[in-house]
Amino acid sequence: MTRKRSRLLLYLPLVAVAIFYLIPVYVMLVTGLKGFEEVNLKTMWDLPNGIQFDNFIEAYNKLAPHLWNSINMVLPAAVISSILGSLNGYVLAKWKFKGADIIFPLILFGMFIPYQSILIPLVEFMKTINLYGGLPGLVLTHVIYGIPITTLTFRNYYATIPKELVEAAKIDGAGMMGVYWNILLPISIPSFVVVLIWQFTQAWNDFLFAVVLTSPSNWPITVALNNMAGSQIVAWNVQMAGSFLTALPTLLVYIFLGRYFLRGMMAGALKG
Amino acid sequence: MRSKKENWQAFLLVLPSILAVAVFVYGFIAWSGRVSLSKWKGLTPDYTWTGLSNYVELFHDPRFAIDVRNTLIFTVIFVFGSLVLGLLLSLLLDTGLRGEGIFRSIFLFPMAISYIVTGVVWRWLMNPATGTRISGLNLLFDKLGLDFLINQWHTTPYWGIAAIALPAVWQMSGYCMAIYLAGLRAIPDELREAARVDGASEFQILTGIVLPLLRPVTLSVMIILGHMSLKVFDLIVAVAGKQLPLDVPALYMWQATFDGLFYGRGAAIGILLLLSVAVLIIPYLFYSLRSEPEL
Amino acid sequence: MASVTFEHVNKRFGDFVALNDLNISIADKEFLVLVGPSGCGKTTALRCLAGLEEVTSGSVKIGDQVVNDVPPKDRDIAMVFQSYALYPHMTVYDNMAFGLKLRKLPKDKIKQRVENAAQVLGIEALLKRRPRELSGGQRQRVAVGRAIVREPKVFLFDEPLSNLDAKLRVQTRAEISKLHLNLQTTFIYVTHDQTEAMTMASRIAVMNKGILQQLDTPQTLYDKPANMFVAGFIGSPAMNFFPASLRKDGSELFVDANEFAVKVPEDRAAIYMPYAGKQVIFGIRPEDIHNPLFVPPGIHAAPVDAKVDVTELMGNEIFLYLVSGKNSFVARVDPRTRFTIGSKVQVAFNMDNFHIFDPSANADNPVAVR
Repeated sequence: MTRKRSRLLLYLPLVAVAIFYLIPVYVMLVTGLKGFEEVNLKTMWDLPNGIQFDNFIEAYNKLAPHLWNSINMVLPAAVISSILGSLNGYVLAKWKFKGADIIFPLILFGMFIPYQSILIPLVEFMKTINLYGGLPGLVLTHVIYGIPITTLTFRNYYATIPKELVEAAKIDGAGMMGVYWNILLPISIPSFVVVLIWQFTQAWNDFLFAVVLTSPSNWPITVALNNMAGSQIVAWNVQMAGSFLTALPTLLVYIFLGRYFLRGMMAGALKG
Repeated sequence: MRSKKENWQAFLLVLPSILAVAVFVYGFIAWSGRVSLSKWKGLTPDYTWTGLSNYVELFHDPRFAIDVRNTLIFTVIFVFGSLVLGLLLSLLLDTGLRGEGIFRSIFLFPMAISYIVTGVVWRWLMNPATGTRISGLNLLFDKLGLDFLINQWHTTPYWGIAAIALPAVWQMSGYCMAIYLAGLRAIPDELREAARVDGASEFQILTGIVLPLLRPVTLSVMIILGHMSLKVFDLIVAVAGKQLPLDVPALYMWQATFDGLFYGRGAAIGILLLLSVAVLIIPYLFYSLRSEPEL
Repeated sequence: MASVTFEHVNKRFGDFVALNDLNISIADKEFLVLVGPSGCGKTTALRCLAGLEEVTSGSVKIGDQVVNDVPPKDRDIAMVFQSYALYPHMTVYDNMAFGLKLRKLPKDKIKQRVENAAQVLGIEALLKRRPRELSGGQRQRVAVGRAIVREPKVFLFDEPLSNLDAKLRVQTRAEISKLHLNLQTTFIYVTHDQTEAMTMASRIAVMNKGILQQLDTPQTLYDKPANMFVAGFIGSPAMNFFPASLRKDGSELFVDANEFAVKVPEDRAAIYMPYAGKQVIFGIRPEDIHNPLFVPPGIHAAPVDAKVDVTELMGNEIFLYLVSGKNSFVARVDPRTRFTIGSKVQVAFNMDNFHIFDPSANADNPVAVR
């Protein structure tokens, strides 16, 4: 049974790497669940004596307003950029106008640019239109810089739909929007889930736009967490609990909708 | 045939997005470019033309030299670390062993997490203190008798930036694994079977057939990771704050602009970052879209 | 119900000429089949009629109306696609009802039409299913049903049988013919399969390289092909061709193919006399070459010597692959024939059914001499 044994050997590296991946989660949870009196850098690897939620409660109290900022910002950003991406994808895949093949890569390039190269004008522009400091400006920013990836995902999906389906609908009497509304949109619901999740994750995890465009009271949770971690007054066990709280929404999405999350991730690799 | 009216409707549908991207991407890049050629320093915009002097200053700026060096070190370790680990994991998972789904989920979940969270947690794991205040991974190494692994992490002189690549690999190697796994699954079984019938060993199949077929995947992943490493910012801020030994262009741009109010210099760094990303991405976009079958 | 007319229709894709001055008029209630090899322009012609492609020049008429600028939805046509193009997220009922809903028909009327069509096609039991739950044959019926409920002026079919297995194809062929009889509507049907064309069409348009080769009834196409392309395309196995010359010998005319010479019967000699001494192509169908033992009575049989290369027993007939000098040809002979491979045999050409093509005007596609 050497074959079986060699198969077992394959698990060794896998388990080792899995442990490496889970260490930060272990530290976050173990530290977060310890009581205040138990917290000591010396014992950071030990399991807690009993489960206590003090750290989570304190972290939540500190982060709650920013958690809500994140939620209020992420939902409209994800929904709007998904809708725009779907419409763009539809036109670029099925109603190619003259120059569409030039415009598509130009749009795509937008998802790769280092945002440092547009940061100064972005701030100046937001000041000019009076959206600087608040959440609407951040939403607008996420929507616009989300357009390339959402357009790419939908366009690639719609491109796989046979053109006969569109033609059949045209002969059946549907116009440009009719074909979209009656045929392509219903078929692409799974793609909508993919794109929504992806945009949700991206906007939730963003730091750069948030820190540059929002004032402290409007900070989303990532900025608030970073600020908390940088301060000397907040105990590190509270920081761990705060990190866990910040990661929780996207982790939940990942756990429950992992299949869609994976597809969104692959879409970003163009042809992979 | 499409009616002229419908063609216009289709175009109008994408027009808002085209305009938004035109302004927010290309317009802003041009604007940044203009700022980088100006004397703007301080709170009020100043577009006085100064030519390339901001760029020239950067090339003589020791801090920018550190940035370039740090970026190179970080890129090499991050890209190759993620690639090798990702490829290894995907090859292991592609053997069809039990529990593949669980392992895949474990390797991928960091992708769902913010760099800030990663950074905050790893800053405690990579606690550089030694002696009586030893903590984090160093403490773990100490307990496990792996003392030789104890190190100063990101506070190591000169090579500190390499430590930042560790959480970056932690975060992105799962992505490489997923892309490689998709590439492996796309190789038809017949190819391996044909090679087996031809008398190739499993190792020969790997080196002679599988790896060459994965080359395009490797290229894509390298470009994507490479351009990410040029943009790295959040992670460094969260692990170490803003420290000169760990400085990178994105961080310098930030500090020059928003802390130091050297807008011209900040814009110049931004433009240089953009150019370095463009060198990677534009050929990649060209290659990806050109080899796409006609739709 | 309407006639359909193509008038000087040209269609170019870049440099590629897909349709070259196409002129076809199709009468009301006709079953016209467009046939030809792939890339011949038949599908392009159909798509121009459907409004899915714009013609480069010329005009397409449905009834008396030029429809060049009319979008597909307003042309009052229905189309069955090769891939069926069923809407995957809709039930069979909704697939069939979709076009009617868009045209704002009252609900009860839609229901009535869909149920009628379902009954005609025997798919009443499938109405609640989705396309992916159907077999290939069932999908094909739904696609036809979706066209029927529309009660269009013209039905368009784009290779609707090519995704079915051989047995189902034969069966469905007959059903579509019956449908045409019942609906009394113009049918325009594209296929690359000459058998489909021969069995279903009231008239066939044979196309090649964007050019209409011949438009006539199946019988006429078979009996009197206008040129070598049509002669070779219609009929299976294909017609045999031999380079030959016409030789006058006193009052008699011979077809001289070097390896053999056959006499032209007197009643047809007059037609070909003007070509005496010229190079022509001699064509004869495999079914007009017989085993001398089983020659049908009353024909002008001409003996030809050949060697047997391969024999294929088909059951009710035998295909003989014969070689005569540089020429190889096929004969479709009586199943009682017992020729062994490699043997030298004599076969009989039925000289009442042969064809002469004149390459002098068009060497690529010699025209039939009649």
